[in-house]
Amino acid sequence: MTLDVESLSHQYGTERALNDVSFGLESGELVALVGPSGCGKTTLVQAIAGHISPTSGRVRLRGEDVTDQPPEARRVGLVFQQSTLYPHMTVGENVAYGLTAGDIDPDEREAIVAEYLDLVDLADQREAYPGELSGGQGRRVELARALAPQPDVLLLDEPLSALDRSLRLGLREEIARIQRETGVTTLFVTHDQEEAMSLADRLVVMNEGSVAAVGQPRELYESPPTPFVASFLGRSTGLTATVVDSDPLRIVIGEHEIPIQDTLQTPPAGTTLRGHLRPQSLSIGSPREGEFGLSGTVRRVRDLGRRYDVTVRTETGTELLVEQHARPPAVDESVTVAVPKSALQLFDQTDDTVGR
Amino acid sequence: MSLARGWIGGQHRRPELLVPALLGGLLLLYFALPFVTFLARVGSTPILEQLSTPGAQGAIRHSLVTAPVSTAIATGFGVPLAYVLARRSFPGKRLVEALVVLPLVVPPVVGGAMLLTAVGRFTPLGSAAAAVGLPLTGSLIGVVLAQTFVAAPFVIITARAGFGAIDERLEQASRSLGYGPLSTFRNVSLPLARGSIIAGIILTFARAMGEFGATMMVAYNPRTIPTQIWVNFIGGGIDAILPLALALFGLTLLVVAALQRVGRLPTVVER
Repeated sequence: MTLDVESLSHQYGTERALNDVSFGLESGELVALVGPSGCGKTTLVQAIAGHISPTSGRVRLRGEDVTDQPPEARRVGLVFQQSTLYPHMTVGENVAYGLTAGDIDPDEREAIVAEYLDLVDLADQREAYPGELSGGQGRRVELARALAPQPDVLLLDEPLSALDRSLRLGLREEIARIQRETGVTTLFVTHDQEEAMSLADRLVVMNEGSVAAVGQPRELYESPPTPFVASFLGRSTGLTATVVDSDPLRIVIGEHEIPIQDTLQTPPAGTTLRGHLRPQSLSIGSPREGEFGLSGTVRRVRDLGRRYDVTVRTETGTELLVEQHARPPAVDESVTVAVPKSALQLFDQTDDTVGR
Repeated sequence: MSLARGWIGGQHRRPELLVPALLGGLLLLYFALPFVTFLARVGSTPILEQLSTPGAQGAIRHSLVTAPVSTAIATGFGVPLAYVLARRSFPGKRLVEALVVLPLVVPPVVGGAMLLTAVGRFTPLGSAAAAVGLPLTGSLIGVVLAQTFVAAPFVIITARAGFGAIDERLEQASRSLGYGPLSTFRNVSLPLARGSIIAGIILTFARAMGEFGATMMVAYNPRTIPTQIWVNFIGGGIDAILPLALALFGLTLLVVAALQRVGRLPTVVER
């Protein structure tokens, strides 16, 4: 493990920001730390970089316990959401800054600065001052500055969140390329699940100071371990189900009895479960093979250009969100929502997975 | 079109600054008036002749020695204090902040009297210092003590505002790039707060040059320009103080201009 976070907890006064957080980064991996605002991501970054001392837990870099070491003794590259380029230094001096702390001879330092400015495609801006750069150029200089001292781990704390959308998409690709070319172990922190899924080899999903899930993006998206992960990674719509038979597990939704193939638990009959579905797996129309139908009335239709969001209120009173590409039904129309049985993910009251 | 042109033209002439400029102008006029009426009396006084008297020469020399020393002490100790106040919260911080402002609130004469109770000739501190040949009152050291007490808050308060305006993450980035807290302060915090610190130094120096009330209490002798001015005023009225007052203006302006030049402080808002 290049980076190892071991049961890290942190408290600001009485407020708990991190609660027993553990995960690791393999060498060369790009892992996205994703979670809603205020879930403790920044506190975690600060603890890894050494800018706060965690209340408890350990941080290891390349096997060495650095928890009690100051930031300057850790080889951690850091890029924040806001620019931290030094306005009184040129781009070249900014990139060289992390190199002048060590004892590298001037010629070699110049060569490294040139190499990293080349990497981010800004060789011609070397003499410019940060104030003269565009937002995207500034971000790239920060990357070059953080990478030049060849850190063990690169921490990117919401590096794209302050940029507008088109710039963000372009820079996302840039970061992926730079990470590939340098092979630096990277922790990419973001609240944007799409950004996280498109970039990362693995995801660490955080919620309210704790790790909610760790895994590959596709895996977590397709079989989220908790309702939070389900709703945070992509859109989720839900309904309630009741257990009719415990083993093998059978549930009832409306008037449909559905056998569940993969079961992790065997809740007793009568237990109420929460079913989670992806809106795009639902469709409006009569159910086909492997699907069951729930009838209801259309409550709302939202035109999003490339698709419609149709909200259907079923006879049992739950509202289902259906993504529809064809022409949508009219509001108040009676329709049937076709639900593929395999798309259903079941959680119990304590948010543990029951089956799918 | 005409609307757009009118707006651009308006931008150019800045009518929105008319009211503030008018209000500020009135205050400026009030500032300038006493200077003009005071300086109008210059013609009737032999300035250079009076400035070459031993009393005036000594006062100028003493002021030029003490004010820079006081400013240096206030800066050397005040800037670190300002940094701590800008960066940390700790129990009793409000008390420390109040203490920093206190010398500004207390009339200088009272400040001087307070200093006398602390370092006067018959206090333990004062007598011990006098015993080793460093009298803390009635000496240049006394002048420096008085000036520092009264003038230091300016550099502390201004520098603190300067440090406070720097995003702490700029310092964190420096730490993560391999620099310890001291090098980070030197490389990042200090250069970025430079303008505020120099502005504070200028204010402190100007205040130290003009310091009278506390100085008079702690060290009536040796005379600085302000104490000598007081002596001259008692003896000869307003015309008697003109030469030294002019010297005080001139010297202070010279140093302030030099500091602004060294600090490259912009006189207009940069766009």
